[in-house]
Amino acid sequence: MKSGREGKRLFSRREVVGTVWGVSLVALFGQFSGALFEYLKPRIPAGGFGSKVTAGLAKEFKPGTVSYVQSGRFYISCLPDGGLLALWQRCTHLGCTVPWVKAKKLFMCPCHSSVFNPEGVVVSGPAPRPLDLFPIQIIGGEVIVDTSQPISRDKFDISQVTRV
Amino acid sequence: MSVQTRSRWAPLTESRVWRSFFRHGPPNNPLDRSLVMTSNIFLHLHPVKVNRKSLKWSYSFGLGVISAILFGTLVFTGVLLMFYYVPSVERAYPALLNIQVSVPLGQFTRNMHRWSAHLMVLAVILHMVRVFYTGGYKPPREFNWLVGVGLLLLTLGASFTGYLLPWDQLSYWAITVGTNIAGYVPLVGAATKSLLLGGPEVGQDALIRFYTLHIAVLPVLMMLAVSIHLWRVRKDGGLAINDSNDAGDKVGEDAIGN
Amino acid sequence: MATPNQPTVTDETFPKQTNKTYALVELMHGEGPMVGKGPDGTVFSFPVVLLIEIILVLGVTLAVFLFSLVKNAPLEAIANPLVTTDPAKAPWYFVGLQELLEHMHPTVAGVLIPTCLVIFLVLLPYIDRSRAHVGVWFSTPRGKRIVVWTALYTVIATAAYVLLDNQFSLREMLRDVVPVWVAQGLVPALIIAIIVVLPALVLRLRKATTRELMIALFTIMLFSALIFTLSGFFLRGPGFKMYLPWQMPNGYNPLDGL
Repeated sequence: MKSGREGKRLFSRREVVGTVWGVSLVALFGQFSGALFEYLKPRIPAGGFGSKVTAGLAKEFKPGTVSYVQSGRFYISCLPDGGLLALWQRCTHLGCTVPWVKAKKLFMCPCHSSVFNPEGVVVSGPAPRPLDLFPIQIIGGEVIVDTSQPISRDKFDISQVTRV
Repeated sequence: MSVQTRSRWAPLTESRVWRSFFRHGPPNNPLDRSLVMTSNIFLHLHPVKVNRKSLKWSYSFGLGVISAILFGTLVFTGVLLMFYYVPSVERAYPALLNIQVSVPLGQFTRNMHRWSAHLMVLAVILHMVRVFYTGGYKPPREFNWLVGVGLLLLTLGASFTGYLLPWDQLSYWAITVGTNIAGYVPLVGAATKSLLLGGPEVGQDALIRFYTLHIAVLPVLMMLAVSIHLWRVRKDGGLAINDSNDAGDKVGEDAIGN
Repeated sequence: MATPNQPTVTDETFPKQTNKTYALVELMHGEGPMVGKGPDGTVFSFPVVLLIEIILVLGVTLAVFLFSLVKNAPLEAIANPLVTTDPAKAPWYFVGLQELLEHMHPTVAGVLIPTCLVIFLVLLPYIDRSRAHVGVWFSTPRGKRIVVWTALYTVIATAAYVLLDNQFSLREMLRDVVPVWVAQGLVPALIIAIIVVLPALVLRLRKATTRELMIALFTIMLFSALIFTLSGFFLRGPGFKMYLPWQMPNGYNPLDGL
C-alpha cells in the first residue's frame, strides 16, 4: 500500500522544494538583471540633441548652393529649382560628420569614402541610405528647422523639398 | 645527497618571525621545493612540477606570461594616470596636456600605458594562435580555451574603452565609428549602442561610462578570468605537451603534483 | 637544479613476480589527464619557472620602457563633433573590420562576420575532440603543409578581393541595378563564404581529419584578418581611399594614428 502510493507520486517533496528554489533564484537573477538594465538605461531628454533652429532668411539661400548651419549640425541645400532641404551632417553609414566639398559639389565622408549629392542621395560608397533630413518650416520668411526628429529615407522624393 | 652545511642566513631564516611568514625550509630539497609553491598564495597558481617540454622557448614563446606581465604594467601605469585624469569632457583633454607637460615622467607613464596596451592586444592574439596550432584546446582543456576567448574579448574591450579617454579627435571618431557598428546589430543593436554611450552620440555620458568600464569593470573581470585561466592550466595538467610517444606503453605515474 | 627522477615504473613500483602468472599493474579510479601516460621528464617548478618569469618580466618591461623613451603616445587636437578627421581610423586591431566595412554592408561586415568568428572560436574545442598530436606545432607534417598552403591561398585570395573590389567596386557597378541588400550584403557575403569554403571542400575531398579542417579554417581567419588589417592600416589614406603608404597625400602618415 504505502510503497504503491509513493510510486504514484509524480514528484518527491525534495524535488518540489528544490525546483521552487531553483526557479526563485532564476527569477531573482532576472529581476536583478532587469533592475540593472533600468539603472544603466540612458534617459535621453525629449527632443533629442536639438530643438528648433533658425537657419536664416529664406531668400539668403541661392539656388544650387549648400550652406552649413553649425548650431543645428545640418546643411541647407538649396536645389537648382529653389527648393530647400535640411540635411543632417551625420553620415548614415557610421556616424561621421560629412563635410561639403564645394569644388566637387558633393558631400564626401572621410571615414569610409561615402559620397552624397546635394539632394543627399548616395553617389558612391558604402552608406546604406541618403543623408537624413530635418523638417523645415518657413515662418515669416525665416527658415526654421526642427532638429529634434531626423527623418530617414530610402530615396530622394520631390515631396521632401520645402519651397518658399 | 650531500651533507648540508648551515647557511649563513640561518639566524634569519630560522627565526620565529621568518618561520611565521614562510612555512617551508630552504628550497634545496624536493619537499621544500614543493612547499614553496603550494604554501604561497601567488606561487600556488603554478604546478609543483612542470614538464621540460613545456619550458621549451620555441614551444610556447612565453606569450601567456608576457600577456599577464603587460596586464600588470597596464594596471600599474593606469593607476598612476588616474591620479591626474578627470573623466569630464571639459577637463579630460587638459588633464592629458597636464600629464604630458607638467607631471614629471607623465608623458613617459602615458607612453608606457599606451604601448603596453597595444602590445598586450598583440600578445593575446599571438597566444591564441600558439595555443590553436599546438592543439592546446583539445580535451580536457576545452573550458580553458573558452576562458581564453573571453579574455581576448575582454582585452579588446579594455583597449577600446581606454581609447576614448584622451578625448582627442583620434579617440572621438574611432569610438563614434566603433559604436555605430554596434548599432547595426539586429534587434538589440540600438539598445546596446545607447546603453554603451548613455545617449544618442558620444559625449559626457559616453566618457564616464567608458571610464568606469575601463578602470573598474573590465580589469576586475579580467583579473577574475586570468585567475580561473591559470588555475585551470594547472588543473588540466600544465601546458598541453606532446606525450603521445609514451602513451599506452608505460603505466601512469602521478608526476605532476595536484 | 634537481635531476628529474624517472622511476622505472614496471620494476620498482610494481615488482614483477616471476612465479605468478598475474601482476598488479595499476589501480585507477576515474579518469584524469595523467591516465595512460608514462612518467615524463618533469622538473620542479622552483626555481626554474620563477627564473623564466623574472627574465620575461625584466625583458618585457625593458622593451616597453625603451620604446616609450623613443616614441610618444599620440595626442591630436581636442575632440570636435563638428569636424571629422580625415582619415578617421579605428584602433589598429579594429582597422581590419573597418576595411571590411568599406567592401560590404555594416550588418555583414560589422555584425555577421565577427559573430561567426566568435562562434567558431567557441565551438572549436567541441568540434575537434581528437586527442592525437596534442602539443605539436601544426600536429603533423601534413598539418604544417596545410597551414602553408592555406595561408598562401588566403593571402592571395583576400588581397585580390580587396584590390579588385577597390578598383572595380561591385557596390558601384550594382548600384541601382539590384537592391542594396543584394549588392552590399548578399554578393560580398557569398564571395567571402566561397573564399572560406573552397579550401574546406578541397580538404574534404582529400579526406582530411577534423583537426586538419580546423587548422585550415583558423589559418584562413588569421591571414584574412592580417590582410584586411594591413590594407586598412597602411593602404588607406585621406577619404579612406587606397594609396601606397609612401605616397599618402596631405602628409598623412599611417603610423601617426597608433
